[in-house]
Amino acid sequence: MKLQRRDALRIMAACMADWWLPRQLFAQRISARKKPERRVIVVTFGGGVRYEDTMAPEGWVNIPHLASELVPQGLVYPVARHEGLTGHFNSTGALVTGTRQNVDAYGSEAPVTATIFEQFRKEHALPPEEAWVIATNKSFGLMGGSKLRAFGDPYSANVLLPKQLLIKTIKSAVSTTSGPGVEDRRALAERMMLALDEGYEGFGWRVFESERTLGPELRASLAKSLLDYFNDPAAPTSGDELTFFMTKEIMNRFAPSLLVVNFWDIDIAHYGAFSLYLDAVRRTDRLVHELWQHVQSLPAYRDRTTLMVVPEMGRDSDVAGNGFANHRSGDESCRRVWLVALGAGVPKGVGSQRPIRTLDVAPTVAEILGFKMMECEGRPLPELAF
Amino acid sequence: MQFNATLIGDAAMLARTHGETLSHLPATVHAFILVELQKWPTLFQPEQRYQRALLKHLSHLPKSSLDSATAGVSRIEGQAGVNKVTDRHPAGFQDAAQALLRQRGLQVAWRSEVDGFFRTIDPALEAQLYPADAPRRLVVQIYGSGIAVQRDKLWSRFKGAGVRVPLDLGGTKGTDPFLRQLLGAQEDGGGTPALLTTALAPSPLDAWLIEAHEALHSLFDAGPTTSRAAPTGLSYDRLRPYRDELTRALNSKIQSGVESPQAFAAYARSLQIAPPAGALLYSADILVAFVRDVLLTGNGTLLMNNTFVEWAAVQAIKRAQPRVLITRFGVRDKLRPFSSMVMFSQPRPSDHLPSVQDPAGSFVDVEQLSYYVWLNAEKTPAYRGKTLYLFLAEGVDEMLAIRSDRPAATASGLPPARLPDVYATMARWLDSPLAGHAGQPIEPLVSGT
Repeated sequence: MKLQRRDALRIMAACMADWWLPRQLFAQRISARKKPERRVIVVTFGGGVRYEDTMAPEGWVNIPHLASELVPQGLVYPVARHEGLTGHFNSTGALVTGTRQNVDAYGSEAPVTATIFEQFRKEHALPPEEAWVIATNKSFGLMGGSKLRAFGDPYSANVLLPKQLLIKTIKSAVSTTSGPGVEDRRALAERMMLALDEGYEGFGWRVFESERTLGPELRASLAKSLLDYFNDPAAPTSGDELTFFMTKEIMNRFAPSLLVVNFWDIDIAHYGAFSLYLDAVRRTDRLVHELWQHVQSLPAYRDRTTLMVVPEMGRDSDVAGNGFANHRSGDESCRRVWLVALGAGVPKGVGSQRPIRTLDVAPTVAEILGFKMMECEGRPLPELAF
Repeated sequence: MQFNATLIGDAAMLARTHGETLSHLPATVHAFILVELQKWPTLFQPEQRYQRALLKHLSHLPKSSLDSATAGVSRIEGQAGVNKVTDRHPAGFQDAAQALLRQRGLQVAWRSEVDGFFRTIDPALEAQLYPADAPRRLVVQIYGSGIAVQRDKLWSRFKGAGVRVPLDLGGTKGTDPFLRQLLGAQEDGGGTPALLTTALAPSPLDAWLIEAHEALHSLFDAGPTTSRAAPTGLSYDRLRPYRDELTRALNSKIQSGVESPQAFAAYARSLQIAPPAGALLYSADILVAFVRDVLLTGNGTLLMNNTFVEWAAVQAIKRAQPRVLITRFGVRDKLRPFSSMVMFSQPRPSDHLPSVQDPAGSFVDVEQLSYYVWLNAEKTPAYRGKTLYLFLAEGVDEMLAIRSDRPAATASGLPPARLPDVYATMARWLDSPLAGHAGQPIEPLVSGT
C-alpha cells in the first residue's frame, strides 16, 4: 500500500524524534522547579509577508483560518511594526530578545542580548526541554540563546531544525544497497540531500555527519516513506509540514512551557513566483490553525496556553520597494506587520488599533510566564491579561 | 583615497580626465564609480553615457557644492572607520567597506545618504541624457497560450491605467499566426517581423525579445540571419543547455562547501561558461555577459522561466534601454515534491518524475511580473513619458494599452481592432514606414504623436 504524504511525514517525524530528541537533552541539567502554569507558543510567518497580502481586507483570502476562525477568538493588532534589520535572523532575533539585533544575517552569530528562553529558564531554574525553537530556516541554529556570560548555553532553548535532521536521516537511510528499488541510488541520494539542504536565500550550509545509524528495518521503512513522498507529484513542497509535525511531537512528549515555531516556506517568494508565495502563506495559515487545534487537544496546553502569531517581517512593496520577492529595501512594506494573540489571558474578538512593535513580543512573553525581563526595547502588551 | 583600478580604453581616459574629482569623492562613491568603469566593455551604451555624464557633471560642480552634496556619505564613512580599509582594489574595498558598515549598523544610513546624493544630481543628468524629444519607445507584453487566463482578473494590477481595446482576432488560432500578424511578419512563415527589422536603427540592441519559450525566436528561424535583421533575443528554453551547465557548476560548488554567500557569489562570478552557438539571436560578448549576470544575480532566474523573463526585461530596461521590448511569458512547471528546496540541482533520469505544468499558478505569476516590468520601465527616465505599453494574451480578444504620457484610465468605446491594426499602431508610434500593410493605426493610441 502506498504511503500518503502525511503518513510519510509522521514516520519521519517519529523516527527523527526517537533518534534526535534524547540527544538534545545534553544541556546542563538544572534541578527543576515546578513548571509555570501558563504556556506560550509564538508562531512566526517566517520569511516575511506583506500586510496587503495577509491582514489587509484584500489579503484575508490568503489567511482564511486566521481571518475567520482565530482572530474572532482572540485579539488582533493590525498595526504592528518590525524595526531593525530586515533579514531573517536579525528580525527573529529581535522578536525573541525584545531588542534590535545586528549580527550575521546567515546565522553564524548568536543574538547579542539575552533571549526569553535563557531568562525564563534561569529565573525558574527549568531544564532545557522547557524551551524550544523549532525552525524551518536552516540558519536558526543559534537562535536559542545568546553567548552572554550570565546566560548562554546552560540556559538556552533546544533548537530543532527539522529540515537538517531530515537530511541526516535520509543520508543514513539511503547510504546502503538494501532498501527500496531505485535505479540510481546515488543520484537519488544526492538529489534528496540537495532537496533538503537548501533554503531560498543563503548558501554554503553543510550537512552534519550522522552520529548514529538507523536500524535496517527502520531505515528501509523510512527510505520507502521518503521515496513515496518524493515521487508523489501531488505532494506539496514543504519543509513547514515537517516543522509542524515535529512541533506536535515535542508538545506531546515534553509539553514545554515556551515554544517558538518558525515556518519559512513563504521565503520561496525569492524565486519570483507570486503564486507559490501565496500558496505558502495559505499553508502557514492552515498549519497555524492545526497547531491551535492540537493545543486544544492536549490537557497540558488547553486553557493555559497563549498563542501569538506574527510575521517575522514584511516584504518589499511593489511601488516603493522591489516587490514581494525581496525584503531588504527597508521600505514601510518591509516593516508593517500585524500580531494575533489568542488563548489564555486574551480577550476574545477584540482588535486594538494601538500601534505595537514586534519587539514587544519578548517582554509580553516574560509577563505571561512570570519572569523578569532584562532591559530591552520592547514593552509588554497591556491588553493581554497577565 | 587612491585605488588600484585596472582600466582600459575610454574608461581609463575618463578616470584620468576626472582623476581630481574622483579623489575628492567619498571613498565608497569613488570605488563604486571605478567598479563601474572596470566593467566598461560589458556596459551598454546608455550605461557608458551615464558614467561620462556623471563624471563631467561632478567635475563641473564647485568644490563647495560637491562637498556639501557628499557630506552625509563622508560622515557615515567616518563613523564606520572606512578609512581603515586597506584593500586598494575597488571591488575588494567595496566588500570590506560594506562589511564594516554592516558591523557598525550603519549600512541603512549609508544607503540613505548615497541615495540622497544621487537624488541631487540625477535630475540634471536625466535632463541631459533623456531630452523630451528623444525617440518614443514601445513595450509589448504577451501572455503565451496555455496560461490559464482569468478574464475577470486580467491585468487587474493596472487599476486606473490605460485603455482596454477590444480585439477582432478574425479566427486567428495558434501562437504563430497570432505573433506574425501582431508583429507584421509574412503569413507564409518566410519573413522576419517588420516591426523588429525595418522599423529600427541598425543595432540589434535597439529591439529585444525576451521569452519563456521560443515562439518569438522561431519567427526568425526561417528568415535572414544577418545581424541587421535579427533583434536581441533571450529565450529561457533555448538557454537550457547553458542553464544546465551553470547549475551543475553551482551545484558542485555547494556540494564541496562554500564559506559564505559572498564567497559563493565570487565563485559564480568567476565561472567561464558561455551559451552554446545558436542559443542567442545576437551573441555579442556584451550579450553573453548580460545573460550570465541575469542568471547568476537574479533570484529564481535559473529555476523559473517567467521570473527569468521579468528579471531580464527589467535589467534590459535599466541597462540597455532598448527602443522596443517584447516579452512573452509562458507556462511554468509545477514544483516537484521538495524541489522548491532543490536550488541548483537538476532532475536526473532516475527521478522518474514527469513535469507537470501549472497554468493557473502561471497566470497569478505573470500578472504580478508583467506589472513589475511596467513599474520598472516607468521608474526609468528613458521610458517615462515616452512609451506605449501594450498587453496582450494569446487567444484573448482584448488588449490593454497604456501611453505613459497619458497613463490615466479611459473608457474604451473603441471598435474592435484587428491584429494588423495593432501592428500599424505600433509602427506609427515608432515612426516606422507602413507602406504595403493593411492595418490602420488605432487613432486614440497614437493621436498627437
